[in-house]
Amino acid sequence: MYNTRIRGVLIKGNKSYSDITHEILKPMNDRTPLWWWVAAFFATGALFWGVWGFYNTISTGIGTWGLNNNVAWGWAIINFVWWIGIGHAGTAFSIFLLIVRQKWRTSINRAAEAMTIFAVMAAGLFPLIHMGRIWDGIFIFPYWNTRGPLWDNFNSPLFWDVVAISTYLMASAVFWYVGMIPDFATIRERTTSKMKKKIYGILSFGWIGNAKGWLRFETAAILLGGMAAPLVVSVHSIVSMDFSVSIVPGWHTTIFPPYFVVGAIFSGFGMVLTLMIILRKVYKFKDIVTDGHLDAITRILVFVSLIMGTAYLTELFMAWYSGSEYELFTFMKNRVTGDYKFAYWTMITCNAIIPQLFWFKKIRKNITMVFIISIFINIGMWFERYVIVVTSLSKDFLPATWASYSPTITEVSIFIGTIGLFLLGVLMFFRFVPTIAISEVKGVLKETTTHKSFIDED
Amino acid sequence: MRTNIIGIYEDDDVLLKAVDKLQDNGVKVADVMSPFPIHGIFERLNLTTRMPLATFLYGAVGTIAVFGFLYWTSVVSYPLKFGGKPLNTLSFIIIMFVLTIFVGTFFTFMTYFVREKMYPGKEVTLPVPETTNDKFVIVVNTTDDMTKADIKKINDLMKESGAVEIKESNINYIS
Repeated sequence: MYNTRIRGVLIKGNKSYSDITHEILKPMNDRTPLWWWVAAFFATGALFWGVWGFYNTISTGIGTWGLNNNVAWGWAIINFVWWIGIGHAGTAFSIFLLIVRQKWRTSINRAAEAMTIFAVMAAGLFPLIHMGRIWDGIFIFPYWNTRGPLWDNFNSPLFWDVVAISTYLMASAVFWYVGMIPDFATIRERTTSKMKKKIYGILSFGWIGNAKGWLRFETAAILLGGMAAPLVVSVHSIVSMDFSVSIVPGWHTTIFPPYFVVGAIFSGFGMVLTLMIILRKVYKFKDIVTDGHLDAITRILVFVSLIMGTAYLTELFMAWYSGSEYELFTFMKNRVTGDYKFAYWTMITCNAIIPQLFWFKKIRKNITMVFIISIFINIGMWFERYVIVVTSLSKDFLPATWASYSPTITEVSIFIGTIGLFLLGVLMFFRFVPTIAISEVKGVLKETTTHKSFIDED
Repeated sequence: MRTNIIGIYEDDDVLLKAVDKLQDNGVKVADVMSPFPIHGIFERLNLTTRMPLATFLYGAVGTIAVFGFLYWTSVVSYPLKFGGKPLNTLSFIIIMFVLTIFVGTFFTFMTYFVREKMYPGKEVTLPVPETTNDKFVIVVNTTDDMTKADIKKINDLMKESGAVEIKESNINYIS
């Protein structure tokens, strides 16, 4: 094994193993704080509003949405892609950084994976709701039926989506849960409450932590890492193919798969940053999720932001270079200028320009600024999907069929509802599960605390 | 009745040296329990796992099974042209790729749980509960042919190598 001096101190404050257990489990043993109840109240409210929108859509039909013949995909697909993108960070964190042996992931991966699961759950709701007749949802799976049997169209990206997203949800959920088993065992052995002992006893699957157990545990983790890393790339490539296999101007480009994958990692890391800043603040985890950790994420973000900017410019160039007047119209007359220029320039500003501020050390070290920029990234990535979906559909080949689109209250409420669902999931995670992987942090404690951090030098 | 001699340590590096010392003196270390995986312990205890092979086999079988299903449904059971594409199309690769990962992941973890005999609600008693927090434990099985002197020797070796506590326990934690 090698040690890196570049990353510096991962866990500050010369902690013992027992300190780490105590510190990470402390929020779970404390009384539920007031902010938690307030946040849970608002999240539940949002969720109920979403349930109303859901009920409205299912009982009346898709007519309650602002869609029309041209713009047949609106907020539903925008939000779907946005949530899936956010969901990418968890796996990117645990899997990519596991494979390249980046030890700083250990303080963050648990929270990032939790975020992934709730985001993918929120994303998965949209295709279901968009079916309108949700009770026919079983049609998306190839099952033995009495109509032939007539199977699915395996050439359709929508079917690939079904396969990709269910695999992604399964793999990340299993990986997340198995990673928590040793920590559940820690709670089981520590707690004095009978109730907790029972619950975490069930959850910990009888974990004992002997040598053979750890060997299998580590092997399983690295095997899943090897399998899920291509999955991270393939899921969002497949989502992008929902668009790029069509002939709609602005969608029919080969840049889409890499552009979507990078965008997903960008938005995911942005959301991880938002959440980790909150987590370390409310639970006082500053020694475990250090400024160095946040610094590492911002450095990745500034790089990914450059790729995003390059992708936007490439799209513009290709629109001109392709010689297709429809492509050129979509990009120059309907995105850069025209009805949707606000959305387009919001996207450019939030994704390609504002994150460039991370080049400055002063801004990287100012956590408030980092937090604000991470919010901008989340907003910018939503607008990116809005630009892609709505501009291309609203004005395509025939001016006679042009239409405009604006969402109705039902669509908005479903979106707010999924935010509520996500927040409620995250809040439950904050309250009932060790938010940082205790056993993994202990594993990196010794290798890193002896080095001095580059971030603390001044 | 089989009992275990259990040496409790407070540091993983000390424990590694202790394992070396015990093994150099001909004592068979049965197991080590720790709050996190200790690097170097698997080689010392000669532990190996065939899980990678199992995963490869699951993946291979998964790929073939998925292709078989797609081919059978699209070419044999109900041949139906979509967009002028051949019945046996390249699109299958995408589905095969993703479902191979699905099958590989799912069955790898099933194998993990089966081999570890882990299931929800399984009850275990740890000889030293603190091994899930900050203690490291070496377990040595006592056998019938061990004399009192042998046991004392093991105790002494553990003490010399830095054990903070040594005890005998007849808890059978591996079920």
